[in-house]
Amino acid sequence: MNWDLFPQFLATGLLTGGIYALIALGLVLIYKSSRVFNFAQGHILMLGAFVAWWFTENLGWSIWLAFGATIGVAVLVGLLIERLALRPLIGQPILATVMMTLALSQVLQGAVILFFGANQRSLPMMFPLQPVILGDVRLKLNLVLAFGMAMLGFLLFVLFFRYTRWGLAMRAAAEDHQLAQSVGLRVPRIFGLAWAIASVVAIVGGVLLASISGVETNLAIIALKAFPAVLFGGLESIPGAIIGGLTVGVIESLVGGLPQDAAFRALHLGDIAPYVFMLLVLLVRPDGLFGLKRIERI
Amino acid sequence: MNRIIVLIALVVLVASVLMACAPAPTPTPVPPTKAPEPTKAPQPTVAPTKAPEPTKAPEPTKAPEPTKAPEPTKPSLRTKANAGEKITLFHFGDITGPYAGITTPLVGGFTDGVKWLNGKGGIRGAEVTIEWADTAGKLENAISTYNRFREKKPLIIQLYGSAETEALRDRLAEDKIPVMTAGVSAKGSYPPGYVYAVVPIYSDQFGLFIDWLAANWSKVKPAKGQNPDTPTVAIVTWDTSYGLGALTDESKAYAEKKGVKVVAQERFTMGAPDVTTQILAAKKAGANVIYTNTLAHGPAQILKDAVSLGVRDEFLIAGDNWAMDLSMLALASTASEGFYGVLPNLYWDDTTHAGIKEIEAQFKANNRKPAEHSVGYLLAFAFVDAMRAYIEKTIDRVGFDALTGAAVNETMAASGELKVMDGVITLDFGKDKRAPSKARIVQVQKGKFVPVTDWLTAPDLRPK
Amino acid sequence: MALRFAGDFDTTYAHDMAVIRNRGQWALTIAFLVALFGLPFVASGEILGMINLIGISIVAVQGLNILVGYTGQISLGQAAFMSVGAYTSAVLVKGGVPFWFALPIAGLVAGLVGLLFGLPSLRIKGFYLAMATLAAQFIIPWFFRNVRADLFGGMPGLRVAPPTLGSLVFNSQETMYFPIIGTVVVCTIIAKNIARTRLGRALVAIRDNDLAAEVLGIQQFAYKLRAFFLCAFYAGLAGSLWAHYARAINPEQFSLVQSVWYLGMVIVGGMGSALGPILGTTFVRLLDEFTIQFSPMLSKIFPEAEANMLAALGPIVFGLALMLFLVFEPRGLAHRWELLKAAWRLRPFAH
Repeated sequence: MNWDLFPQFLATGLLTGGIYALIALGLVLIYKSSRVFNFAQGHILMLGAFVAWWFTENLGWSIWLAFGATIGVAVLVGLLIERLALRPLIGQPILATVMMTLALSQVLQGAVILFFGANQRSLPMMFPLQPVILGDVRLKLNLVLAFGMAMLGFLLFVLFFRYTRWGLAMRAAAEDHQLAQSVGLRVPRIFGLAWAIASVVAIVGGVLLASISGVETNLAIIALKAFPAVLFGGLESIPGAIIGGLTVGVIESLVGGLPQDAAFRALHLGDIAPYVFMLLVLLVRPDGLFGLKRIERI
Repeated sequence: MNRIIVLIALVVLVASVLMACAPAPTPTPVPPTKAPEPTKAPQPTVAPTKAPEPTKAPEPTKAPEPTKAPEPTKPSLRTKANAGEKITLFHFGDITGPYAGITTPLVGGFTDGVKWLNGKGGIRGAEVTIEWADTAGKLENAISTYNRFREKKPLIIQLYGSAETEALRDRLAEDKIPVMTAGVSAKGSYPPGYVYAVVPIYSDQFGLFIDWLAANWSKVKPAKGQNPDTPTVAIVTWDTSYGLGALTDESKAYAEKKGVKVVAQERFTMGAPDVTTQILAAKKAGANVIYTNTLAHGPAQILKDAVSLGVRDEFLIAGDNWAMDLSMLALASTASEGFYGVLPNLYWDDTTHAGIKEIEAQFKANNRKPAEHSVGYLLAFAFVDAMRAYIEKTIDRVGFDALTGAAVNETMAASGELKVMDGVITLDFGKDKRAPSKARIVQVQKGKFVPVTDWLTAPDLRPK
Repeated sequence: MALRFAGDFDTTYAHDMAVIRNRGQWALTIAFLVALFGLPFVASGEILGMINLIGISIVAVQGLNILVGYTGQISLGQAAFMSVGAYTSAVLVKGGVPFWFALPIAGLVAGLVGLLFGLPSLRIKGFYLAMATLAAQFIIPWFFRNVRADLFGGMPGLRVAPPTLGSLVFNSQETMYFPIIGTVVVCTIIAKNIARTRLGRALVAIRDNDLAAEVLGIQQFAYKLRAFFLCAFYAGLAGSLWAHYARAINPEQFSLVQSVWYLGMVIVGGMGSALGPILGTTFVRLLDEFTIQFSPMLSKIFPEAEANMLAALGPIVFGLALMLFLVFEPRGLAHRWELLKAAWRLRPFAH
């Protein structure tokens, strides 16, 4: 074992985990309010990266202006998806919504290529390429700052849910649709809001990631790592999303990096560690750390 | 009841008629050695655009003996196309898959190359057409595309991916269709068959790099690298057929023989946003050289992460030929400075070279976008000209009427060195040689690929 | 039931249950089978190639339909189970086992792996179970990519020998047609009949209300596992066929997107009917082929258009078709077909 590298891998894992947590947050928001698990979250993220690229490349905007404008686009995308794709399926079995988001991911994949091409692009860098050296630990400055922004975003959403009217409405709708409806909340509108917020979150993640690693269709794949995070944290829990995300990032990094034996490392256990972890969670505690327990005994 | 039986009879009848009308009824599986019939359209009007073919008699009569008289024993050899005769060049697109960044401009280059070729009179007077399909990086699509192409008895196909080349290898030999491929893993090209690599195979490229490294170590070693006396290589690469193409048993043994240590092969997923773990593992393993068999995003991510970890001056970083492209430069921007690579072709920067000038002119004439000004466009253009050369040679040898994939393959297998477009790429095939061996080491200096060596010959590291 | 004639009465229970009820239907069936197996002698290789691909997908989708359509459990891992069959078969054939034995063994091995990943169904169901199969979709290709590269060929994968029978080598579209379509026919008949047995009815009961099913004495877990086994068994057969048809396999081929497409085919075809997978697969594959064939054609009409703009149409067309089916015809093409048959039976009366 490369124990001397342990702090290094722990820190790298936490930083990557921050991105997973951000994607997980989007998944939780949608699931909490509308009981839909959004398999297209990664594709929304990718879309955001391409849109931001388009603003910088074709309109010549600065990266920060493009970032802001992309967030506006994200709201629209979220509302549109909810209205056109998911609302007709309210009341349908879970398979229908799962398939709908999977179909959506395919459409988004194609649409991105249709409008922006499949070439890899590069966004102007938001942060300089510099190391952050803390003792033996070397980190990328851009990843550290992106992590910081992700955490800031988290904080904002937590405050939003706790202290705003809309936040309260969303929590109410998450609790019980009928009850929320009967006290005068427009539940479909709340679904729309959840999708809009989730898209914003995804797209923030997308732009941050793309400014670090480039704009390409493969960006969508990263969301798959957020699935174990969500299940571990619990499908309905926002703090769960962040804990799950960080945990998955750390597990991946440690399992992938720590073994010293080259033959053992050649197995690339880091690639599947999140999924093995997910299976274990499903077997031991399917509701995750903070998920709602639905007791159903036969 | 009767009505039903009549109905059934009708259905069966209609079905059998429909099937009988299906294209090209072949009663039994036909061995693919059959020559394709050239479309017989004996109109005496011949396309007047024949000027750039100097060796050709201007009369549109049959069997004009070319002045170089390839084989006098066969006087009836038809080396000139009948009016309306067409030759189709087949190629696979891979333009929505992971290699899209480099293969999308390939499609444009191929199209413009064929347009240019037709402007010059096609292939011995035959109009050149293109048939291609996007495989979206999915092998399943590649196979279904191949099934479709195969029925049309292609003379030659251009492939791009290592995975599909490796997959189709045996079937190409069975169907006797030669392919030129840009996915040049050793496993795809050897043992010699119908697969011709357009650049040195990845393991040979790595061998050439090792040669250069061993000979120039004192000059090029990184400023702050560890173990400064021995070049110590870690391969950091993609987890794909292509990515794993450089390090084979043969190339590893060769490196050891040359006194270069290969300490690790660290792999990462295509598109991974972070390869710091791999770079730090390479550092830990004692490496001072990182070699990568990836393109576009791959080398760019390694370079950027090396800079952002502050370890750039501890490593010499290098890559294979596909890394040496516009897409890498754009993605890595300033971090690309000092990156080495193996480059077997000329690049756009050779603005005085006749072949490059021609391609540049065509690029402008077709209003291509700056993003397409990549190695993909350049090479695909050259591929078209190489196909022309091989097909023309075959026509001179066997005539139009015996022009088959098998015949083109024979030509290619005996072709030796061919400088395509004055040497934009140089192909070199022989009886048991399926890939060229010459390349230069280039370095990125101020966003340009600057050769730091003369043409070197790669060691022969094909699998035993 | 559609073509039921006057005077055709059910005189025995066997007759009442029969799939093929009378001489007319027998004649139709035999004519269909003759036409099916006679096709390679008249059709071009191009068409056969398409049919072969469709055939392989039908086997995989038929299996998935047992799990998704009858049992109501979602599997996102069908492509991964296919890879188990493909690798098993390839390794066995390399070791000298004839393809004809390797094919069922591949199914069995894949079935057992399917059982393994079905085990979480002891505790979880629905969406959570889908996530367990999603884990399979990552873990299984990882296994073939990284473990025992000497045996499984690692990332570059394996090249596979064509099946042989005596001196006959199955290395063309025309020849591979027979094992593929043979398997399709057998698999479809079995799938059709599974639905009519105790097993099938138990699965449907679990789908419709698992609590009620358990109360009725159906051991949920045992039946779910059987469904998982069957689903993966079919996938294994499809994988084996695919390996020997494509003649080359690598872990990249069996991707999550592939699994999504199989699920899409189940939905489009119509869940819980043996006809559904056939219709769905054919529809989706033809749509895809059409898109692939169509994109270069379009680029000739619009030479200015970026080549990849057209190539983007594949996933869009599939995704949109799937969405439209989910919203407007969640019961799929098979349901439409039933409606059509009913209309024909009642003709000339509309109701």
